[in-house]
Amino acid sequence: MDEKKAAILGEIPRLRRYARSLLRDRDSADDLVQDCLERALVRLDNWQTGESPRRWLFTIMHHLFIDQMRKVNRRGEAAMLPLEAGEAVAQPAEQMESIASREIIDALQAISPDRRAALVMVAIEGFSYAEAANILGVPAGTLMSRIARGREELRGLLDDTARRRAIRIVEK
Amino acid sequence: MIRRDFSERDIHMALDGELPADERTAYDAWLDANPEMKARSTRFTADRAALQAAFASVLDETVPVRLRKVVLGETPVKAAAPRSRWWLSAAAAVLLAAGGLSGYLAGIGGIGQEDPAEDRLAEQAIAAHVIYAAEKRHAVEVPASDKDHLQTWLSNRVGLKLVAPDLTANGFQLVGGRLLPAGESKAAMLLYEDDKGERISLFVTTESTENAKGTYMAAQDGPQAVYWLDKGYGCAVVGSLPHEQLTVVAKSAYGQLLAGLAS
Repeated sequence: MDEKKAAILGEIPRLRRYARSLLRDRDSADDLVQDCLERALVRLDNWQTGESPRRWLFTIMHHLFIDQMRKVNRRGEAAMLPLEAGEAVAQPAEQMESIASREIIDALQAISPDRRAALVMVAIEGFSYAEAANILGVPAGTLMSRIARGREELRGLLDDTARRRAIRIVEK
Repeated sequence: MIRRDFSERDIHMALDGELPADERTAYDAWLDANPEMKARSTRFTADRAALQAAFASVLDETVPVRLRKVVLGETPVKAAAPRSRWWLSAAAAVLLAAGGLSGYLAGIGGIGQEDPAEDRLAEQAIAAHVIYAAEKRHAVEVPASDKDHLQTWLSNRVGLKLVAPDLTANGFQLVGGRLLPAGESKAAMLLYEDDKGERISLFVTTESTENAKGTYMAAQDGPQAVYWLDKGYGCAVVGSLPHEQLTVVAKSAYGQLLAGLAS
């Protein structure tokens, strides 16, 4: 097996984690990774020797994600999608998730895709600001602003969840 | 030692390992002297640990065979457009997030210079429109058939004398309205519909300290908001109509709202 393919295989677990944080549903996340891998293989020649495979693959996947989110917005499908469409509705992942994990995963899904991606890049994937700004194709200032606002939004959502839980307990 | 003022921005930088090492001591001293900032830092640190923990197990999962096969060339690679429908789940998530709408709207009023007050008003109005205008049976809390009650109720809650504008001259009938959170404050949303089922909404809130007006579009070709901010209140008209038409309807609505406020 050639070196490039070996390097790509080695990045799949990280790509899957990033996709899962963007999309939550396991199958949808793996579909996104598959689209990313297919595009990467078609463009294997564009991959500069010496460029980190991680950065290259994350850039491809991020573009796929953002392009599709934009199309969804444009067609208004986000607004028109019937909830009964079972395949479309994100199901909780099948593995056991603690309540705390489920709450933070739900909250992450509720913040805007741009902020979600910026926050995940840095807080989970461990990219530096410079690397993350490069992958997301935005100035460092914009990245920082998205991270800050993403964290605030996440905190607000988690507080809301905690408050609702407290109310339910009181009602019992 | 270099002395400089730290801000909330430095909390994020410190957390993400972006604070220069030689500023660390001064930063720690600043945190110790600012309990509120320290609490914020502690909270963000905990949230980050929770995020990392929530996704840590993904790295240990067995990579699905179909993904390995793509790389190993055992699946014919399609150069065509993505066939998968993963993005549908992302779209659905927008709807599912409706339950967390109050948090979303409250969260928008966060920090940073990126969005001034008028962006915030427009974003809130567009978010509400995207979610509720798409609802067939649950778009409003109080229907137009109960218009008097709707106006009294929303006026009391929002703290402004609200008169639902009559937009029949523009082809729009009132569907009804609902009460929404808007940052620290509350907002009234009035929904209108034309005979083709096209919907526009009117978003009115008291949370405003500046004067501004303009047009705001969140996503390319998504719904647009035409807004006005005055001291004491803000108003946005949201819809996917052609810009000129939306502006005409918005002016009519705004004029009537102002007359109502003064009455």
